[in-house]
Amino acid sequence: MDILPLCKMAATLCGKFLLRQGWLPLAHCVRHGSKAVTRHRKPMHFLKQKIMAVTEYIPPKPLPSQRRVAPRVKPNLEENGLFVLLKKEVAAMFQECKMITVVHNSAMTAEDMLLLRHRLRKHGLTIRFFPNVVMRAYLAGSQYSNLEPLFIGQTVLIVSKEPKVKEMLQTLRSTPQMVLMGARIENALLSQQGLLSYSKLPSLATVQGQVVSGLTLQTSQTAAMLQRHPAQLSALLQQYLKQKAEEAAPGATEGGPKAEATAAV
Amino acid sequence: MISLLKSAFWGLAGRTPCSAGLLQNSLKVLSAGLKTYEQPPDYSDVVLPERPKLKFFSKVPNIKKVKKEMKRLRDIQGPAQRANTFVKGQYGIVAMGGGYLHWGHMEMMRLTINRRMDPRTTFAMWRVNGPYKPITRKGLGQRMGGGKGAIDHYVTPVKCGRLILEVGGRCELGEVEPVLSEVAKKLPFPAKVVSKESLAAMRQEEAERQLNNQNPWTFQRVVTANMLGIRKVVSPFDLHHHGRFTGKFQLKGRV
Repeated sequence: MDILPLCKMAATLCGKFLLRQGWLPLAHCVRHGSKAVTRHRKPMHFLKQKIMAVTEYIPPKPLPSQRRVAPRVKPNLEENGLFVLLKKEVAAMFQECKMITVVHNSAMTAEDMLLLRHRLRKHGLTIRFFPNVVMRAYLAGSQYSNLEPLFIGQTVLIVSKEPKVKEMLQTLRSTPQMVLMGARIENALLSQQGLLSYSKLPSLATVQGQVVSGLTLQTSQTAAMLQRHPAQLSALLQQYLKQKAEEAAPGATEGGPKAEATAAV
Repeated sequence: MISLLKSAFWGLAGRTPCSAGLLQNSLKVLSAGLKTYEQPPDYSDVVLPERPKLKFFSKVPNIKKVKKEMKRLRDIQGPAQRANTFVKGQYGIVAMGGGYLHWGHMEMMRLTINRRMDPRTTFAMWRVNGPYKPITRKGLGQRMGGGKGAIDHYVTPVKCGRLILEVGGRCELGEVEPVLSEVAKKLPFPAKVVSKESLAAMRQEEAERQLNNQNPWTFQRVVTANMLGIRKVVSPFDLHHHGRFTGKFQLKGRV
């Protein structure tokens, strides 16, 4: 081991003037005779281990994703042929169907859906599926824009040409997966409660009959009211005549009223 | 005769539209598809050497004056400066650490590769010399002392990153890889089968790592500036190799 003490003095003298960038050791060990070990790994000095840990490779950070830099441009749906076709279909459906019910489908199996379809089919009701995007695009421009918030998630449309709310409610009662949301029935938007009360309404024929009977009752009552006084008068007069005839001829009671009637007429 | 022909012709003519209609109905319209095949690699510039197989190395070098040498461990330490790129072939075995190749290793490589390769399409060539470095041993049961022992055998020192052999010709990597990898795992140092492209990619990745290192404190900077007097504990070889090697071993993941 050789120590170089002379350098120390020189270094202290020159230290003020020299830049301390590449600092050489003032005293260092010179090894003689030790061989570099190559057959096995030499145990690393603790300080060297530290240096190795400090000088680990650090990879560059991944670039910010392209979507964050430039948000994705949504494709113009109006140019999509399928979208236009579906929108046309929806418009046609709203034109020709009087009842359009929005139902939320919460995880119904395909088999159950098929069975429900069959059961609805018996009453002339059909199940239809449209993408929510299409429905919202159609509803935004139509008079039923208040239906728009119903089209979120899995929605199914139950559609029929005639409003058959009662049958539909009966069929849906056995499938709790299908949740009724709202409906459009003949230009009126109904909530779930509204549909229930709509279904309780009697049929058109009975209502018409009731109206007719009510109207006829009124007129008949008025007529009865108008005819009441003369009728009462005539009855009183009849009674009077009867009594008179009884007083006059207590034996001939049967001939009396006939004569009175002819007189009254 | 003519009338007969005529009638036959008319009969045919009359029947053809009907039969054509039938045919059209029954025939499926087959749409023609085109398959795009990969272009086979271009081997037009490949010239097979006269002797495509690996050469036999003699066990002992042909030298007049046999001389005992010192260990000289330098010749297996650190990265190889020579024979680390392809010369003629396309595929090869590259050493991922230093070590000594014995005559036995070479025989194993030679026999395996020569047996399995097709000499009409492929060739193989050595990138190392035959064993030339003498290794001495004392005889069995001999007492210590009495000077350096006699030469026992010869070896070929190999540094990390050196190609051991090359394979080329009209062949693809998939054809030669099984043989080469079988041989590579029997070598006395970690070795890998590479192609010309993969070796270039490996080197490229190394260079990129060095360039894109986000750590401002690199081994090279710390050691050359002798920060905190660290030169006291690092080896002088680390000044050259920047802490990527310890002896013949390559440290993985260092820049």
